[in-house]
Amino acid sequence: MFQLRSHESASDSARQSLTRQAILDTIPLSIAVIPWGMLTGALAIEAGFSAFQAQLMSLIVFAGAAQLSAITLLTAGSSFSSIFASTFVISSRHLLYSITFRQHVEALPLSSRLVIGFLLTDEMFAVSEAHSNRSRSFSPKFAIVSGVTFYLFWNLATLLGIIAGEYFVKLDSLGLDFAIVATFIAMTFAELRRYPVLIAVLMSGLTAVLLKPILADSYIIIAALVGMFSAYIFADVQASQDQQASS
Amino acid sequence: MTWLLLLGMALITFVNRYLFFSTAIYYSPGVRLRRFLSYSSYSVLTAIWAPIIFRFDGQSQLQFAGIDYLLAAVLAGLLSFYRVASIIVVVLSTALFFLIRYYLSWSL
Repeated sequence: MFQLRSHESASDSARQSLTRQAILDTIPLSIAVIPWGMLTGALAIEAGFSAFQAQLMSLIVFAGAAQLSAITLLTAGSSFSSIFASTFVISSRHLLYSITFRQHVEALPLSSRLVIGFLLTDEMFAVSEAHSNRSRSFSPKFAIVSGVTFYLFWNLATLLGIIAGEYFVKLDSLGLDFAIVATFIAMTFAELRRYPVLIAVLMSGLTAVLLKPILADSYIIIAALVGMFSAYIFADVQASQDQQASS
Repeated sequence: MTWLLLLGMALITFVNRYLFFSTAIYYSPGVRLRRFLSYSSYSVLTAIWAPIIFRFDGQSQLQFAGIDYLLAAVLAGLLSFYRVASIIVVVLSTALFFLIRYYLSWSL
């Protein structure tokens, strides 16, 4: 009886610490997007959205870069079809996250897959992948808690932007985007000793910096594919050289 | 009309996220594709952070976002490389970032 209770409390605290870990891991990235969320809310109002529509956009689209670009295009008088095309191109990198996560989620019930799919952002992907690498297994609960945390921050930031308008958008120059740099470096550099990872980081970083001025919508996905492809080829060549050396 | 825009965008972003979670697609990535995908997080995350620090206008030379970004990113890189826990990397490098900004705003 006593043993049973202590076993229960142990798993209770494990569950709690998983939740706490997911929230803690997501907080720096959540703070970093506050200026973008506010900007999205403020600009949506300026573009002629009602307060409800501006909030609804963050509630159902939940994609910062795609939202900001759509609002900018709308203000410039672009057609819906070109806005949809830009939305598709910008959010196409999520296809990569989706296929990477597939092996982890395919056995889960439909409801969990729908929820994880809806919450799948750059930030949630980054934080969950890092957690999977650390603990050697994917946790759906970790992914959902991280996704919900980020969703709340994004929508509260949008609400602030709707209420405060562009007045507060000077937050932009505070340098909160450094939290994105710090978190993403922390998640990639630990594995830099593996040469293919080093190649992936160098090639995707270089490609992204060079392409950003010309391909504002698609540079992330293109740079990522270049990095992945280079790393893959490099690992192949390395493996065949090792084989030759040993034979 | 705005409603149509919102619904359309919600649909497009959701499909991009959910597509490979759907069991309607009978497909499982093979060993080679899985290895290719194992580099996805490193590549995407770098493609997002690198242009925040390094800016290239398409014409002239490469520019840095600023000494605050550069030094703090170097610290983050070094700490991460030596496997310091992520949360400590984020806290220390962000602290250095704001210290440099604070110092620069007073000395200029």
